[in-house]
Amino acid sequence: MESGLSTDRTDIIKFSGQSGEYFKLWFVNMFLSIITLGIYSAWAKVRNTQYMYGHTNVDNNSFRFLATPVQILKGRIIAVIVFILYIALSKINPLIGIVMALAFLVASPWLIIQGIKFTMRMTAYRNVRFSFEGTYGGVIVHFILLPILGAITLYLAMPWVIQQIQQYIHNNITYGGKHFEQKSSAGQYYIAVLFSIGIALLGAALITAFGGVTIASSAAGPSPGLILVGLAVFVLFGIVNAVYQTIVFNHLMKTLEIENVVSFDANMKTIPFAILVLTNILLIVATFGLAIPIVKIRTTRYIASVTQVTIKPGIDELVNTVDGEHSAFGEEAAGLFDSDLSIV
Amino acid sequence: MIKISGTYQLAGCSKSHPATAIVYDTGQIVLQYISGEKINDNWPSDYHFSDVIPGLRVDLILADGALFIPDDKSFRWPQLSSKNLLAEWLESHWFVVLSSVLIVPLFIWSMVNYVLPAAAHSAVAFLPDSIAESMGEQTLYILDKTQFDPSELNSEQQQQVTKLWQQITRQLDLPADKYQLHLRKFHMGANAMALPNGSIIVTDDIVTLMEKDPNALTAVLLHEVGHVEHQHSLKMVAQTTATTMLFAMMFGDIEGAGELILGAGTGLLQSAFSRDMEREADAFAHQNLPKFNISPAAFADAMELLLSSHSSVYSSDEDDAESPNGIGQEKNTLNHWLQYLSSHPQAKERIKSAQQARSNTH
Repeated sequence: MESGLSTDRTDIIKFSGQSGEYFKLWFVNMFLSIITLGIYSAWAKVRNTQYMYGHTNVDNNSFRFLATPVQILKGRIIAVIVFILYIALSKINPLIGIVMALAFLVASPWLIIQGIKFTMRMTAYRNVRFSFEGTYGGVIVHFILLPILGAITLYLAMPWVIQQIQQYIHNNITYGGKHFEQKSSAGQYYIAVLFSIGIALLGAALITAFGGVTIASSAAGPSPGLILVGLAVFVLFGIVNAVYQTIVFNHLMKTLEIENVVSFDANMKTIPFAILVLTNILLIVATFGLAIPIVKIRTTRYIASVTQVTIKPGIDELVNTVDGEHSAFGEEAAGLFDSDLSIV
Repeated sequence: MIKISGTYQLAGCSKSHPATAIVYDTGQIVLQYISGEKINDNWPSDYHFSDVIPGLRVDLILADGALFIPDDKSFRWPQLSSKNLLAEWLESHWFVVLSSVLIVPLFIWSMVNYVLPAAAHSAVAFLPDSIAESMGEQTLYILDKTQFDPSELNSEQQQQVTKLWQQITRQLDLPADKYQLHLRKFHMGANAMALPNGSIIVTDDIVTLMEKDPNALTAVLLHEVGHVEHQHSLKMVAQTTATTMLFAMMFGDIEGAGELILGAGTGLLQSAFSRDMEREADAFAHQNLPKFNISPAAFADAMELLLSSHSSVYSSDEDDAESPNGIGQEKNTLNHWLQYLSSHPQAKERIKSAQQARSNTH
């Protein structure tokens, strides 16, 4: 990794996390969190994230998670205090509860921004940090107004709304002070939705045609035919979801770049992704959630293996523009009050 | 002295160079380019290490934020203390995973059964009276708006109840400004309930039901006074808040499972708490009935009367999953007798303990 890059270098993301290794780490950290009444969970979060980041390697450099447990613990303590006050006060006086809920509503765009910002600023690659520069107004437009618009247009505008939201998030992420540029088009989202609907209808028709026969031929009660139909619906769901996700993900990666620093490409395939998602669901259900770490490793490994990153000469000129002082309160409050914003 | 090859990553920018670190027994670490040219000299007070994570390199972090990243993933710096290495050791052994599977349930059980109730009860002692006051007023206000109608008892019945109530307040020396009796018509039948501020509500149906057995009604009223005296409403709030908190703290961070455990766990615990509180209120009634020259058996009579009057309603009121918000409060108050009548073994058990209390006093 001699510094001073004269030509572009392209490679897939290499992910070296191991299911068994991460399961032990995740489980032991969960255990320590429980017996310390959640205090250790700040350390657990740091260690879990460090494991995932450290095993994610682009162009021979790993990502690093720089948050300290104490930063996260502080945010968590504030969030917990607010939460206690909310529960206790709303029992004593429901009116205070309503006022607090309203205040939370007003604060939530700010909390969303702080949450993304914290995660980004604590992520570093080659000693240069990421950041997020979204604004209160921008978040209101993209996370509140546009979804309402999507709903009142009978979801006809929804693909466009989701494209706008994702574009907004990505465009406001910076690395070494340089903005990511997402030049996605809503057309691809509509294509993705139409393909998914088409396959859903086709699949439903096939299941009705064949399933109708099998069910009719068997007696009442949970017959093997009925189980087969259930299985077919499950598989169909997996395929429909994968059709949408692969089209959107590949498109997003192809249109994302930082000029002269990095560009992306992705080659996610529908069937392998559908198999991944379906087996993940089965794993989680069968183990009552204990397979979550394994699912995380499998998913990250797959996504990394289909994502190509092209590093360009400009990356050597980047300078870190972000310091590490930042409160984790926004992220913690958002997490505790359940306003996470994962859309993809 | 050890020599380690790796990468020197400059501070605050994306430049890096292949380099070698030479670690001396004194703790001094010298970094140099592969050409042999020295980069810098570092003493233990100048550097620290990144967290030790299974399967990952441990970076040397210099005072200015520059890094030295060893090539060898499994290399562990000799300066790392056993404290630095402890987490990694725990995280990489299966027997730690297995033993935690056993420890967690034990731990939760003891927290929920011993630590939390004790903490919640001592917290209640610090709450000012005004809280109980406003909680009671608001609950009565909401119940009046949503569930109750003004009493339709005739004046003779009203007088009978008021007389019983006055006997109780006089005999037990209860402060009259705190303890107030309210008569209400309630569509769900015979019931009595206590609010945290000392307001005690009896429904028309329970008065009619126990018209011929005033001792039974006294037992019911004493039971309600017991709830107030033991500050059960506040304790319930404190205890459910504490449990919700505990569960949120322990499991809030665990994806997926968190909400499920939170919802089911607190619901189950709340019904366990209120069962204990009913026992306490029962015991209060048993203890005080003899002061009125009434046998504790009157309590058993009251239970049986209530059982018979509600036998038709049992099945309709099974859900006692309380939401941890304001609405649960009224519902909890309302269900009070219904809830405990709704499961036969509990009602039977209460009748039995009333009979035992009688044999103890005789």
